Amino acid sequence: MALVVFFIMGIALWHFTVFLPDRFWQGIVGAFLGAVLGSIVFGLIVQEASGKSLGDTDLSTALIAVPGTLIGLAVVYAIGMRSEQHPA
Amino acid sequence: MGTGRRYLFILLFVVGLVAVSAVVIASKQTKLGLDLQGGLELVYQGQATGAGTEVTSEDINDSISIIEQRINKLGVSEPEVARLGTDEITVSLPGITDANRAAEQVGSTAQLFYYDWEPNLIGPEKAIGGSPGREPPEGPRKASEKRWEEAGRNVTSEESKQLIFAGAYPTAYEAAQLAAAQEPAKDCSECSVAKPRYYLFEKAEPHELIAGPELAKKDLYISPTGKKRPKDGIVVEVPAGTILVSEYPTDQEGKLDETAEPGWFALKDKPALSGNEITEPEQTYAPTTNEPVVSFKFTDSGREAFQEVTRQIAQRGQASAIGPVGAEEAAALSGHFAVVLDNEVKTRPIINFAENPDGIDGREGAQISGGFSSLQDAQDLATTLQIGALPINLKLISETQVSATLGSQALHDGIKAGIIGLSLVVIFLLLYYRFLGLVASIALGAYGVIFFALIKLIPITLTLPGIAGLVLTIGVAADSNIVIFERIKEEVRAGRSMASAISAGYKRGISTIIDANVVTLLTAFILFVLATAGVKGFAFTLGVGTIVSLLTAVVFTQALLGSMSRSRLLRSPAALGAGGEGRRWHVDFLGASRWFFSISGVILLIGGFALATKQLNFGIDFESGTRITVALQKPTDEEGVRETLEGVGIKGEEVQQVSDPNFGDNVFQIQSHQLEPGEVHNAESALITEYGVVANGFESTSVGPTFGEQVANNALKALIFSLLVICGYVALRFDPKFAVPVLIAIFHDILITGGVYSLTGKEVNSGTVAAFLTILGYSIYDTIIVFDRIRENVPRMPRAAFSQIVNRSMSEVLTRSLATSFSTLLAVGSLLVFGGATLQDFAFAMLVGIASGTYSSIFIASPVLTAWKEREPGFIRRRLRIQEVEGGQVPAYADDIEMAKLGRDDEPEAAAAVAAEEPAAEAAPGAVATAERTGDGGGNGAGSLTNGDTEAAAAASAERRARNAERKARRQARRKHGRR
Repeated sequence: MALVVFFIMGIALWHFTVFLPDRFWQGIVGAFLGAVLGSIVFGLIVQEASGKSLGDTDLSTALIAVPGTLIGLAVVYAIGMRSEQHPA
Repeated sequence: MGTGRRYLFILLFVVGLVAVSAVVIASKQTKLGLDLQGGLELVYQGQATGAGTEVTSEDINDSISIIEQRINKLGVSEPEVARLGTDEITVSLPGITDANRAAEQVGSTAQLFYYDWEPNLIGPEKAIGGSPGREPPEGPRKASEKRWEEAGRNVTSEESKQLIFAGAYPTAYEAAQLAAAQEPAKDCSECSVAKPRYYLFEKAEPHELIAGPELAKKDLYISPTGKKRPKDGIVVEVPAGTILVSEYPTDQEGKLDETAEPGWFALKDKPALSGNEITEPEQTYAPTTNEPVVSFKFTDSGREAFQEVTRQIAQRGQASAIGPVGAEEAAALSGHFAVVLDNEVKTRPIINFAENPDGIDGREGAQISGGFSSLQDAQDLATTLQIGALPINLKLISETQVSATLGSQALHDGIKAGIIGLSLVVIFLLLYYRFLGLVASIALGAYGVIFFALIKLIPITLTLPGIAGLVLTIGVAADSNIVIFERIKEEVRAGRSMASAISAGYKRGISTIIDANVVTLLTAFILFVLATAGVKGFAFTLGVGTIVSLLTAVVFTQALLGSMSRSRLLRSPAALGAGGEGRRWHVDFLGASRWFFSISGVILLIGGFALATKQLNFGIDFESGTRITVALQKPTDEEGVRETLEGVGIKGEEVQQVSDPNFGDNVFQIQSHQLEPGEVHNAESALITEYGVVANGFESTSVGPTFGEQVANNALKALIFSLLVICGYVALRFDPKFAVPVLIAIFHDILITGGVYSLTGKEVNSGTVAAFLTILGYSIYDTIIVFDRIRENVPRMPRAAFSQIVNRSMSEVLTRSLATSFSTLLAVGSLLVFGGATLQDFAFAMLVGIASGTYSSIFIASPVLTAWKEREPGFIRRRLRIQEVEGGQVPAYADDIEMAKLGRDDEPEAAAAVAAEEPAAEAAPGAVATAERTGDGGGNGAGSLTNGDTEAAAAASAERRARNAERKARRQARRKHGRR
């Protein structure tokens, strides 16, 4: 269930990237991947570190996904900026 | 064949089909599932035993054959035994009310024992039949013949003579009396049954056997199907150590004649070996004569026991012979070895002492030869022998008992919901499409008749999820018409003649319909292959319905409209609801989409928090457990029911008082950990004793953890496969880039539905999974309608920005999309309101999913596609050129005049392409914004410059109308000229 929560939070936050300049690597689809992967990977790490099982969810499970999503989005945005500045 | 003739042929074909269907409907019965007629459904999982490490396909098939034989003895009409997945068997027993006993009888292996025949005979039987090859003593024989005559049996017939000479009794009652007179065995450790058994006989002579053997006397008075038996019958108790068996005579070929009346024996219950001690029984051929035989092997203990008993039989035969004897005489003197299955002698071969003086060595196994009139007989006996030596254990993993009253109520609700759903869709079609709506309604009527006939003819077992699938296909059938009708209306408004508009409408609409229906069929197919039994019914109905709807909604309506295209009825566009300019949406969908993105984001955030804190309310399908619904006669409360259940050792259950339209308010729903069939029976008995249970007022469902896990795994597999296959199809039919927004829209819809389920606390069961997967199919169906128009408009608008193409496409299909969703929502809505509890749960998920699917295909999938496609160099160049012409902005809609200006523009595209190489400077604030000034930095630009209500747009529209009117006048003039 924790995985579903991470996933839904990642997708939910991704929706708000339409207010940001479109400089993500691969655009809105890249942002989608960044948000989802960020929330899941970060969420799994924190969940594992806190000793909770994937079946246990509470408010913190949803909150954990927020920094993960932001990190994922930031990484994809940075890659996009970098490829704009240094086109192949 | 000319078009007119083809149409006539199709019309006649469909009318003929409807007539045949009507005959089928009138003459054939509908096969109802257990959930609609009441009964018991058991799901068993095969588990390897002994040396075997896995359950093979053959094991399951053998077990199915064995279970079918056992069910036949229960007297259940139309039972169904079917394979489920790789290692499971589902057993449906309509009308069964005593789940406990039925489960015991179906699931337990049959009682197969082997007896040294003659030493186990008792009293007069032994005197007559205990010495093979010898004339029976006159006294006992005459007494026996008298008994047979008194019982009304013809003592001169060959069959009777055979049984009399074997020492049999003519009636079960007389044999039971003999058995009852025996002393109970002191040590019954080797008996086939270590307890006394009870038989019920008619009070009046000749005391026909009514029931038995039963281990409990009370079970004699009620059949497993709930039929009450006379209380005044004679009960006979057969003590432990003695059994009652029957035997049919054999015909001239030595084959058991089961059409004749059997004889009865009371036997000492000292079996030589049991069915558990034989292995690998199979039908083979005798090496020398090539006749069919049944061969089998033994376990180590079985081999020893077999050798020992056959040696004893051979030695007895040898001892009874005086001097050396020939083979024929030896055969007559040889003793018998009886195979007794469920108290019935199946075969009683001799052990010929001349051929096997030291018994039969069981190391190479043994075989039963002779007496088989056909190969089938030998195969049947091999199957019979397998009954006692099943290679697998059958573990009961799910048990559902449905009350006949509640089942019939569910059927009534389902039919009502279907009729109301169909009527609402017809009313909508008539109001909105007028004459076309009438044509669609006729097609829907034909669809309903043909589909219902197919349900009866195949036959499809109609279940509640199946009814949901049926109602949904009404919506799908109407959708196909709507897609085409909107096309026809567009063509009529564009000035085409009626015949030409109809032809073009079908020609252009068909690819959309095929794409959409292929997706529905793929979803149905994947569901059918992967899902559990209940959901399979839904998938099958959905699949068949979709195919039938293609015939009636496309082929039939085209023929109908094509034949009438030149009639007076279709002369006026208003008759089609195509009068005037029609509704033209001129909204900047993409500009507005960022707000819709925000709404979706907020809904998903709420859903995410709900899922994290409230989780999903998984039903027992997933979590395992037992749910009992019981309608009580005496009023009580939840605490009273809980205390009663605790009295029979059922603790930790949740009891909830509910209201039921059939049974009133004194109905309780009990949910607990998984109870064994015996425990459910105990709970029922305790509630009957304490409060009384209304007739047909008891239902139960038990699901084991294995089954729950399997339902969840299958659901996940179905979801993943559906996503992969459908995305693959979209990528192939459209463009790989079209598949990604489809995927995102699906995630959006399923997660929103999941969030709503979490927020509302509604139960998630296997039906919800079917609904989720249908949402997936529907979401794509809707998205395909939009994407299909985008695909069509891309080559038509070679200079427009992708956002403009998408805006135009969405404005063109929005009415169609809303109409298709609305018609489906009408069908699903009627399920929600009128469909009864189970269908309501299903319809709720569908309702949320369809609403979300319509929304996401317009406001999520299309904007994502736009944002992604706009990054392609070709579209970047177009965008830059438009911005130059439009003073730095991209209008929401591509205006014809501006496009013409762009076409005349001599400025080389190369320059724009160079500009496109510097995207950083022009990066738009927001991936999906379409009407913005370059370098504007902030602001969303949504809609502010885009509504297209500009003078230029108005002028272009007027010009278009004038052109259309001119074309129409020219066409009419040509037609007039032609007629002259």
